[in-house]
Amino acid sequence: MATLARLAINEEGFVFDPTTGDSFGVSATGVIILKGIRDGLDDKKIAQRLADEFIVTLDDAGRDVADFRVQLKTLALI
Amino acid sequence: MQKLIVGVSGINAIDNPGPGIGVARSLKEDPDLAVTIIGLAYDAMDPGLYMDWVVDKSFIMPYPSGSSEAFIERLLYIKKTCGLDHVIPNLDAELPLYIKHSRTLADHGIKTFLPTMEQFRLRGKDQLTAVAEKIGAGLPQTRVVNSLEALVQAVGEIGLPVMVKGCLYKAYRAGTLQEAVGHFHHLVAEWGYPIIVQEVVTGDELNVVGVGDGTGECLGLVGVKKICTTALGKIWTGVTVRNEPMLAAARAFVREFRWRGPFELECIISPDQIYLIEVNPRFPAWVYLATGVGLNLPSRLLRASCGQPVPPDNAYEAGKLFIRYSYELVTDMTNFQQAITRGETR
Repeated sequence: MATLARLAINEEGFVFDPTTGDSFGVSATGVIILKGIRDGLDDKKIAQRLADEFIVTLDDAGRDVADFRVQLKTLALI
Repeated sequence: MQKLIVGVSGINAIDNPGPGIGVARSLKEDPDLAVTIIGLAYDAMDPGLYMDWVVDKSFIMPYPSGSSEAFIERLLYIKKTCGLDHVIPNLDAELPLYIKHSRTLADHGIKTFLPTMEQFRLRGKDQLTAVAEKIGAGLPQTRVVNSLEALVQAVGEIGLPVMVKGCLYKAYRAGTLQEAVGHFHHLVAEWGYPIIVQEVVTGDELNVVGVGDGTGECLGLVGVKKICTTALGKIWTGVTVRNEPMLAAARAFVREFRWRGPFELECIISPDQIYLIEVNPRFPAWVYLATGVGLNLPSRLLRASCGQPVPPDNAYEAGKLFIRYSYELVTDMTNFQQAITRGETR
């Protein structure tokens, strides 16, 4: 979480880590999830944000959040 | 501030560039400094000789590996013919000579701002363990070898892959013993002994450039991550980073050793450890990045050397991109002819 907190995330999905110089590209979905995690929301609330923003069911959005979390863990960002 | 005439070496702005052009450009860009740049070149084809918007006049120097008397005489000739208030040497091979003769140069009115010989020796790859310990950094397992048998033994002890490094320049990764032996012979033939064999550690490769004032204070630090490098491992694209453990190690380096002059630390940062890979006792070729983000380190060095106030602000922004590019200059043969026939231009 400490890593995620320091990331600079722009609206177009460019993510920069000022400590390591690493940069990543994420989709619009990823931006919402990253910001949600950083805001301290639980997965349900993040999924609700996705469902509000995109034409997607709450169940599908919940799976997207869970999948994305796995990727963030793989990259040691959370 | 009065007009200063500053000699800058390493003006070989080629695919493996010296730091000189970045240093000269930085000095020219300080609006409060009136600087004339004297290029100190070793080859008539050094691009700096032709870059008259950065280098005002150039001289071909004798190689520092030759007679030190001839080298000093050449500097005194430059002092006599066009004035020379200060020299910023930027190449490893010439630093011992400048350090050794800094008093003589000062007696003739040519200032330098360099580490002592004792400090300079710390940059030796066989000294890194002691440096790393003092600044709170780790060091990959390292063996200093002086024979093929010792190399084979070191590879056996450390385990593959390993880095095989020359005592002054160049480093190669070896995935097999045969590769390590090949690199060993190549490096011995080019740079002599000793050869350093080092464990390969993984993590983010970050570097930091800085200037120490000789009393333990730091005149500025800027960290970079190399995003894209050339085949020789030289930075082509980079981005500024603010990695606090690395910056703290650099501050400790200046404080513990009372470092005087420019330096670059090459580090590998893993999540729980910072490894010191190399200490360079000079500005790196990417020094202009620091100037570009607001910390004009060559200018700060010159100011400190002249007893002028140095800007107190050491802040810079992470995420500023450094892009090196190739460019062509078309000119007549005058400078080339003069460099060949007279050993100086303009």
